[in-house]
Amino acid sequence: MKNASRSIIALSSTAMALPGIALSDAPPTQSTVSYKLSNYQEDDLSRSEAPIGELERYEIDVHQFQLVSPLGRNMSLHVDANYESLSGASPWFTSRSLDGEPVVNLSGPSGIWDRRAELSVGSRFYLENGSFAGKIGYSEENDYSAFSFGLNGEKNYNNDLTTVSVGLSYSSDQIFPTDAALFNRVIEDDKQSTSVFFSVSQVINQVSSFQSALSITEQSGFLSDPYKLRDIRPDNKTQIAWSNSYRRFFVSTNAALHANYRYYHDDFGVNSHTSDLSWYQNLGRTLQLVPTLRYYNQSAANFFTNVDNFLNPISEYQSSDYRLSTFGAVSGSLSVIADMGSWTATLTAERYLADDKYSAFEVSKPSTALVKYNRISLGIDFRF
Amino acid sequence: MRQLRATLLLSICSLMLISCAEVKAWERGYLAREEMAWDPNSLESSLNDHIFFSKEASSGGNSTAGGGCGCN
Amino acid sequence: MGSFCEIQLFDESRISAKSIVKQLAGEVTRLEKKYSRFREDSFLTKINSSAGNKLGLAIDEETQSLFDHALNCFEQSDGLFDITAGALNKIWDFKKALIPSQPQINAVRACVGLNKISFKNSHIHLPLEMQIDFGGIVKEYAADSAARLARNLGAKHGLVNLGGDFSVIGSQPGNKPWSVGISSPISAGNIMAKISLLDGGLASSGNYERFFMHEGKRYSHILNPVTGWPSNGLRAVSISANLCSVAGSVATIAMLKNEFEAKAWLENSGLAYVCMDSEGMIGSSGLKSDN
Repeated sequence: MKNASRSIIALSSTAMALPGIALSDAPPTQSTVSYKLSNYQEDDLSRSEAPIGELERYEIDVHQFQLVSPLGRNMSLHVDANYESLSGASPWFTSRSLDGEPVVNLSGPSGIWDRRAELSVGSRFYLENGSFAGKIGYSEENDYSAFSFGLNGEKNYNNDLTTVSVGLSYSSDQIFPTDAALFNRVIEDDKQSTSVFFSVSQVINQVSSFQSALSITEQSGFLSDPYKLRDIRPDNKTQIAWSNSYRRFFVSTNAALHANYRYYHDDFGVNSHTSDLSWYQNLGRTLQLVPTLRYYNQSAANFFTNVDNFLNPISEYQSSDYRLSTFGAVSGSLSVIADMGSWTATLTAERYLADDKYSAFEVSKPSTALVKYNRISLGIDFRF
Repeated sequence: MRQLRATLLLSICSLMLISCAEVKAWERGYLAREEMAWDPNSLESSLNDHIFFSKEASSGGNSTAGGGCGCN
Repeated sequence: MGSFCEIQLFDESRISAKSIVKQLAGEVTRLEKKYSRFREDSFLTKINSSAGNKLGLAIDEETQSLFDHALNCFEQSDGLFDITAGALNKIWDFKKALIPSQPQINAVRACVGLNKISFKNSHIHLPLEMQIDFGGIVKEYAADSAARLARNLGAKHGLVNLGGDFSVIGSQPGNKPWSVGISSPISAGNIMAKISLLDGGLASSGNYERFFMHEGKRYSHILNPVTGWPSNGLRAVSISANLCSVAGSVATIAMLKNEFEAKAWLENSGLAYVCMDSEGMIGSSGLKSDN
């Protein structure tokens, strides 16, 4: 078309985008049912890390189930159910070895065996330029039960180019550790958590968008780990998390980039930076390959010690929980997704390594019990 | 410190609004693709949130502030 | 599609040609089944039934791209090309020559306007009372789709003709163009011009059907969605472009504009065309050159 005017060229762009050729005509769907099975396995500790006792750590099998379905003309229903079974041992206390190095002792031969079931039901109600949703949940395990509810709303502006959402959630938990009397653990206690969030999403251009979200959480009650020989934490914690996400589609490569960064801070003294990158590569019409890289960095809580000090008074905060130490973690995963029209299968494998070597923060008290794990998952979605 | 962060957040948001293109309704095809969603695989992200919550000291930041578990 | 369909193919093997034609017919039928307004089981009927449903209806990629094109045409024509304007046809009865009242027209115009539809997460949200008619887009799309399919199947020379919408599979052997005769709207059986098609497509639009006369004024069946009244446009126009879909959109928009603006727009388009105005005057451009 020589000398075609600007409006003709403009019309041409969408005409050329018409797909043509009979596609696999999957009937458009309204409801989705999903199931995902995962196996999580932590690496054994080495003898140098744990001179005495158990070396095997956690193994967990997780079953996730989800249903999303319309309810009438203005509402949708979301049901989530999870079941997991956990076995293995976790760090009980730490001490100093003969060389003066901190070593860990995993919980004894009885180990930990736990089952957890969770159910949550929510509904989203749609309006002209936005929606609001409510959700309630309940979970129960051998030594813990939690009840939670949440409300959130979102509104669109600028012809749907900008979205603002706010939300509030509350959780009330009961803790009743197993073998409490036997090991002189707290018999029963509780914990409450209230959280608010605010986020803004913005379309930047035809192929990219950005989102920034802030959440503030206040926890109160029993926040210590009842299974550790000496673990005393404050009964109040305030935490703030700020995450930023970027999405960009590359037309010539037929792939999308996800880049996320989150900053976290709480008044236990922990600061962390989490960054992750995912690349969603489409291969033809049915396959998608998604490699992901995550880099996590945290600085220790004020009261973290890598060797338990049992001589400290009980009024002084203390914990040797590796999860409160300074460390870095690197993880990589690969997902393969096959889209067969009315159903989709996803296979994912992940490797995670936490080590004080990876920390960008200066490490003064490295924890020995940092975790390394493998995870493999298989998921199926069925649309009808 | 918190005020600084709030200011930073607000300024980034306003910057975003200034530098953004007017994307017409029929030009949103790429943005509407499943892999361009904030959370294309919700079971995967909720599983990861759960694992990282129990192995690390951080949580939150996204909109899902759900119920608790005994893992931390 | 409710009109005459013809596929012309040059192929060394008759068996191969027959197989290709069969598949093309299958593709055209598939689109007809999916987007026909008159079939109860079509997807378009499902879309129209979802009007007013706040949850919207999930649509596939093909349907989304058709809507994208319709939205683009809507914007390029300043609202004249509007696939939701079908509701207006209900209040104008061309057989009985009935002119509706202005309040009637205003009431229906409230349910017209492609800009009132929203698309989110591969779902279409159609407001209550609004109805979609893909009639102005699907036939041209089907012609292009069939031509593309033929090329994918190995055909090198051919022409698809769906009721006057043409899409070239490939030039005639020896790199010769196809010659398409454009019927005259006023003298049946006569050709008012010939357009050469080497590649791309050709589409026509005319208002020589379904009009009525009232007090000396011609009321055509082509209604202006912005005003709700018939447009005072050209009598007929045929255009060739790189795709039948493009040609069809340009032709439809040209018919909706008033005569004067339409002629200027066609001149500026840079495309080869022939048109006839309400007085019967024929205008054209680019008919002799290769496209």
